[in-house]
Amino acid sequence: MCRIVFLLFLLISCCSVQAQYPGYKLLSDAGDFKSKFTAASQKTNTIKSDFIQEKELSMLSEKIVSKGKFWFRRENAVRMEYTTPFQYLMILNNGKIYIKDNQKENKISAKSNKLFEQINKIMMDCVNGSALSNPDFTTKIFEGTDTYMVELSPVNKNLKSLFKNINLVVGKKDYAVSRIEMHEPSGDNTIINYINREMNVNLPDALFAIN
Amino acid sequence: MRYLLLINCLLCLFSCSAPYKKMQKSRGNDINCVFAFKPVFTTALYNTQVNVVGKHLSGLLIIKTMPDSSTRIVFSNEAGFKFFDFGFSGNEFKVYYIYKEMNKKAVIKTLRKDFHLVLMNNLNAEDSYVLKKDLQVYHAFPDGKDHYYYITDSLCTQMIRMERGSSRKPVMTAIARDMQQGIPDTIGITHTNFNFDIGLKRIHNYAER
Repeated sequence: MCRIVFLLFLLISCCSVQAQYPGYKLLSDAGDFKSKFTAASQKTNTIKSDFIQEKELSMLSEKIVSKGKFWFRRENAVRMEYTTPFQYLMILNNGKIYIKDNQKENKISAKSNKLFEQINKIMMDCVNGSALSNPDFTTKIFEGTDTYMVELSPVNKNLKSLFKNINLVVGKKDYAVSRIEMHEPSGDNTIINYINREMNVNLPDALFAIN
Repeated sequence: MRYLLLINCLLCLFSCSAPYKKMQKSRGNDINCVFAFKPVFTTALYNTQVNVVGKHLSGLLIIKTMPDSSTRIVFSNEAGFKFFDFGFSGNEFKVYYIYKEMNKKAVIKTLRKDFHLVLMNNLNAEDSYVLKKDLQVYHAFPDGKDHYYYITDSLCTQMIRMERGSSRKPVMTAIARDMQQGIPDTIGITHTNFNFDIGLKRIHNYAER
């Protein structure tokens, strides 16, 4: 009897893993993916891209869609500029954060603000490829037809209260992150799709300057 | 920027009003006329600026009337990080979510009362009364120690501003301007007893189904 229950449990568990992300299959050995992903990340010195952000709230039937431009420069400089339907600029550079909204400009040290420190680290980890070795998350890799899905599940209580998991969609051809999904414990989520990506183009220092 | 400046100017002007105790009660005015100004938030998204004790925060605020007639208010930053998610239904108030750093009784209480004033939900008309000062009529709705005031012109054709306070003096002032199909385009909230203001400017064409 116990054996039957155990087998049933095993079967249900296997099915739920398979069905977790339709079209994706859990990789039992992620070593090959990890080495290729890390190698591709290390070759990426800059990224220039457009992005479309979709915020899904369980209480809202519509998605809140915002668009903008994204720049990344190795090791740790990011510029994210929302252009529609509102203007908002965020520059993360070497532990410093600059924010410009409709009303004010703000300069923040990432270390002085826990929230921004976490956002800063997560964003950098996602784009520079170090997410897989971040001890704040456990990692599972799923393989699809054209892409991999990297599922990052937070380990500590603080991050768990913010995110159920963060998923990165990585292209099989270039091992570059094309989509970031941030899933909240409430079921709400934020999805950022990177489009029109250009890798290793020359980016002026002024883009990341925080004066 | 411009709308927040306008809100601040308007609120500064109005915050100089005399305490309520100096006003006279009026019997000739219909208290119920203010319900014509009750906003109808089907779904509205606002670009939001918050200034609180020297700190500045911006983000997006969504106000939505749910199928059960309750109202949900969700505030997140531009990148989607959620700060709070509140529900208002009749006398009931529910915190669906609040970011750990903001999860303080005083913060929640202040926000609940501020939004209660603007939403005009479940105002207690039984104990309500009307005060008059010059050409302005104060439609007052007591709720325990708090009094919610809706200030109109003498003929109740225009809502000039809203105030919350005691029976003696205001502690915060709010405005709702440029109503379009019951949804204000601009909302401003300013506290008079400490440095805390919220400015909301409606964003149109934000959604995709």
